Amino acid sequence: MIMGLLAFYLRKLYSIVRNEILVLPSRVVVALFFLFLLLVPVLFKDPYMLRILIQASIFAILAASWDLLSGFTGQMNFGHALFFGVGAYTAALLNLHLHVPPWGSIPLGALAAVVAGLVIGIPCLRLKGTYLALTTLAFPIILMGIVFALPGITGGELGVSGISRLSGSRTSDYYITVLLMLGLTTLMWKITDSKTGIIFHAIREDELAVRASGINTTRYKLLAFSLSGFFAGVSGGLYAHFMRIAGPSTLEVGLSFTVVIWAVFGGIVTIYGPVAAVFILFPLLEFLRFWPEYRTLMFAVVILLILLYMPEGLIPWVRDKIEKQCPRCKLRNVAVRKTCRVCTASLD
Amino acid sequence: MILDIIISGLISGSVYALLATGFCLIFGVARIVNIAHTAFYMVAAYGIYFGTHKLGFHPLWCMIASVILITLFGLIAYKLFIDPIREHEAAVLICTIALAMAMQEIMLLLFTGDFLSVPSLIEGFFTIFGVKVFYQQLLTFGLVLLILAALRVLLMKTKLGLAIRSTAQDREVANLMGINESRAAMITMGITVGLAGLAGAVVVPLTILEPFMWMHPLIMMMAVVVLGGLGSLKGSFVGAYILGFAEALVVFLIPKGAFLKGSVALSVMILVLLIRPEGLFGVSFEEER
Amino acid sequence: MKRLKAGWMMMVALCLVLAIALPAWAADVIKIGVIGPMNFVQGKGHWNGATMAAEEINAKGGVQVGQKKMMIELVKADSNEFLNITDATNAMERLMTQSKVDFVVGGFRTEAVMAMQDIAMDSKKIFIGCGAATDELCLRVAKDYNKYKYWFRGTPFNSTYLVRTSFIHMATVGAILKKTLDLPQIKIAVVAEKAMWTEGMIKASEANIPKMGMELVGIWQPSPVATDVTAELSAVQRSGAHIIFTIFSSSVGIPFARQAGELKIPAMQVGINVEAQKEGFWQATQGMGNYVFTTNTYARGVEYNDLTAPFVDTYIKKFGEVPTYNADTYAAIKYTLVPAIEKTGTLDSDKLVAFIENDVHMAPSGTVAYYKDEQGRPTHDLKWGPGFLTSLGVQWQDGQLKGVWPNQWKATPEAPEITYKGIVPVKIPPWVIEKYKK
Repeated sequence: MIMGLLAFYLRKLYSIVRNEILVLPSRVVVALFFLFLLLVPVLFKDPYMLRILIQASIFAILAASWDLLSGFTGQMNFGHALFFGVGAYTAALLNLHLHVPPWGSIPLGALAAVVAGLVIGIPCLRLKGTYLALTTLAFPIILMGIVFALPGITGGELGVSGISRLSGSRTSDYYITVLLMLGLTTLMWKITDSKTGIIFHAIREDELAVRASGINTTRYKLLAFSLSGFFAGVSGGLYAHFMRIAGPSTLEVGLSFTVVIWAVFGGIVTIYGPVAAVFILFPLLEFLRFWPEYRTLMFAVVILLILLYMPEGLIPWVRDKIEKQCPRCKLRNVAVRKTCRVCTASLD
Repeated sequence: MILDIIISGLISGSVYALLATGFCLIFGVARIVNIAHTAFYMVAAYGIYFGTHKLGFHPLWCMIASVILITLFGLIAYKLFIDPIREHEAAVLICTIALAMAMQEIMLLLFTGDFLSVPSLIEGFFTIFGVKVFYQQLLTFGLVLLILAALRVLLMKTKLGLAIRSTAQDREVANLMGINESRAAMITMGITVGLAGLAGAVVVPLTILEPFMWMHPLIMMMAVVVLGGLGSLKGSFVGAYILGFAEALVVFLIPKGAFLKGSVALSVMILVLLIRPEGLFGVSFEEER
Repeated sequence: MKRLKAGWMMMVALCLVLAIALPAWAADVIKIGVIGPMNFVQGKGHWNGATMAAEEINAKGGVQVGQKKMMIELVKADSNEFLNITDATNAMERLMTQSKVDFVVGGFRTEAVMAMQDIAMDSKKIFIGCGAATDELCLRVAKDYNKYKYWFRGTPFNSTYLVRTSFIHMATVGAILKKTLDLPQIKIAVVAEKAMWTEGMIKASEANIPKMGMELVGIWQPSPVATDVTAELSAVQRSGAHIIFTIFSSSVGIPFARQAGELKIPAMQVGINVEAQKEGFWQATQGMGNYVFTTNTYARGVEYNDLTAPFVDTYIKKFGEVPTYNADTYAAIKYTLVPAIEKTGTLDSDKLVAFIENDVHMAPSGTVAYYKDEQGRPTHDLKWGPGFLTSLGVQWQDGQLKGVWPNQWKATPEAPEITYKGIVPVKIPPWVIEKYKK
């Protein structure tokens, strides 16, 4: 009986894999990516490599959360480091002074980042485009001034140190971070695939029309700020516990810029674009260690060149090369096909 | 004390005005947020350092050479990297960030991270109402007024100025009217980079030269431009002095809080934007469909 | 896309294999990691001092470890700590797991060193810090000896003694001014950059300056990266201060000195001005930084003991400038680590730690010995005082950085009087004399 049930589910799994995943190269890549990340500690025992991947996962959550806000709703946020810093400092302070363990301090830090998101979201409701971008840039700087003004609480330029570890060992740290990353980005992707996601798309395209349709855009914009803040706050808390120190470097302008670079490089208005970008660029930056003087320069040159030839981002460009959209049923197909796999219309 | 504040405010306001004007101009005309603006300012300053320190020329010649070279460099960078992707505003933004980073790194490689300085064009100081003012600061103030007057003449009285102004107001219609819109953008780019270079020449003797010096003025400059209203030169001018005075007030009234001057200035900007989302003199852009 | 990803993974795998395999070949060397901000003066100092030490030792045949001789191999690691703490921790991690070094020297920025220290301690490798002065780094040793015992302070002595030394400088200059200019009481203005590390010093100033018989006329705190301090300078002048007690480690030290010199503010600058320790200071202030007095470790012509001159002169010959305190990686390797290895005959970290913490030895900057706290727990912090480490007071005199303190200095009335070889008298700026001379 049990064998029969097992066989049934296995067959189902097999049919899903064959009909849903293997059909499109992009889904295959995503599946392989998931698998690879989950199996890395088994294949490679190198703690340095695990460290890099953990940091990449943390920043991937951050980049994806930026895309959720600025890519999908079009509210260009140049101060994303604010959420990261608030999440990191809150988690650190809770852990240090109130001895809240990581699985408590990180969510609480994320909630603090949500509050921060509302604090900056509300004034920014009336601002558009570049005004919004430059205003959001100001907030982390103001917070950094406050951090330096209250060195007793925040530790000034030394930051908050002596925070407890994320977990007992490097490998469990790795699995916690990677599973969180995969889970949260899937969640973000599901949000964009839902009704809320459609409204986000619409707000970006034409806010006036959305308002004219009777939808309360204010509520959705604030929702976007809050969600983005929450996920970014989680990544901030993870960072604080992994590095065991939360300092003003989490609020730097450079970090805000870097997040934007990753997201645009990978392709905005996707969620997987920024994630892929982080996993490509972050190890690349580490790899370029061999030439420490030229590292950042090469990084900048890579960005410049990619943007020149793929201005929509790397991943959309790659995706468009390997997949085609059917003109009749709008479903995606492998590019080498001549006819659509579902409605058999011609793909050319 | 009041005099200290007034004079200090006038001087820092002039510095910001010099930088903000160029930034505002290129945004108004070509809708390009040029994050690399202050990076050009930095490269010009390094050029002057190189000329005076390593080659031994007089600062004035180095300044002139530097401004010309940086303008050329800016034009080339624009043509190669920005012009092809002008339609994608997000990509242009990242491009300018990457350009700024590249310039920073090249300066770091060539001159290392040590702090350097550039000699003043006019040494010495004088005392006015009991406040000591450097001649170089007076020069900055005078130059700002001169440049703004020159820009006004250029924009209002010449044909080129007319082309620039109409492109700023409505790009598509300007194109229809026969104005070569991309050429106007390129010329504007040249003017703004030249302005940045000039700012480098005049302001740098008052400050320290290092590869990361472009970040702080960038933020203040953007605050100024947003406060004054994007696309409005008058707004940038006024905004620069408002923020300059705000900073001076902080430094003098709260001596222990002098490091907060940046944060206070930015808060002022946010407050103004809350009341008037387009900035003080800004034009609310029609949604381009 | 699949092909791209596969190719990328192969490249990464190849590099990892190489990185892991390479160190395995060279097994008969002692690997010492040198970690610091290599694009900046501090990291360059770290690297230069270390290479000098390694070259000298290897030229003599290497280190005698028990029965065999082993050469020293240095591994350079750019922590990039000024810009990116993440980079610093990754660099340390790589030293530990990829390069598999036996010892680490270096470090500068406190926020980074705290994080890097944890990583080195986890791998149980000796880390000699050559840059950060924060007390906390050594307090951790006392609090959790088993974890942190592998950490030693190489340089500088910690901030408590830094404060004490600066106050001694201030008192010395105050006494000179009082005597030369016949002043009834010295007025002091404190200008400190707004930072965590200056908070303690400011409080100490408020408490101690009145006790030293001088008057504190005001405290100003510009931003560490301020470029225009004319506002503060006007206010200082108006307060009538004779001495400006400077507490700067960041770039603000340069415009402050330059503008004070240009405006001919009638006060002497004494205290800590890290930028003024560098030989590039003269150019950076366009020559206006004359008469600035600051703490420093080395100066041309000044000798602490017989080891100083060979070190300083060879360094100047090789690198063209006076060594900064970061170059004490030289002493850390040549006079702390290597003798310990040779005397214990092993590379085992635990045995070396037990030896080093009780080892009193000479180094170019004085005599190195380590403290224990009141409860007798080792802190691995450097001993300060006559006969151990005192550092120098240096003053810019017409384009040259001269050692001016200790000059006939007694730490306590019973202590021996100290004047190092090569010390010259302090000079007072002519415009200060002009203002006050009756």
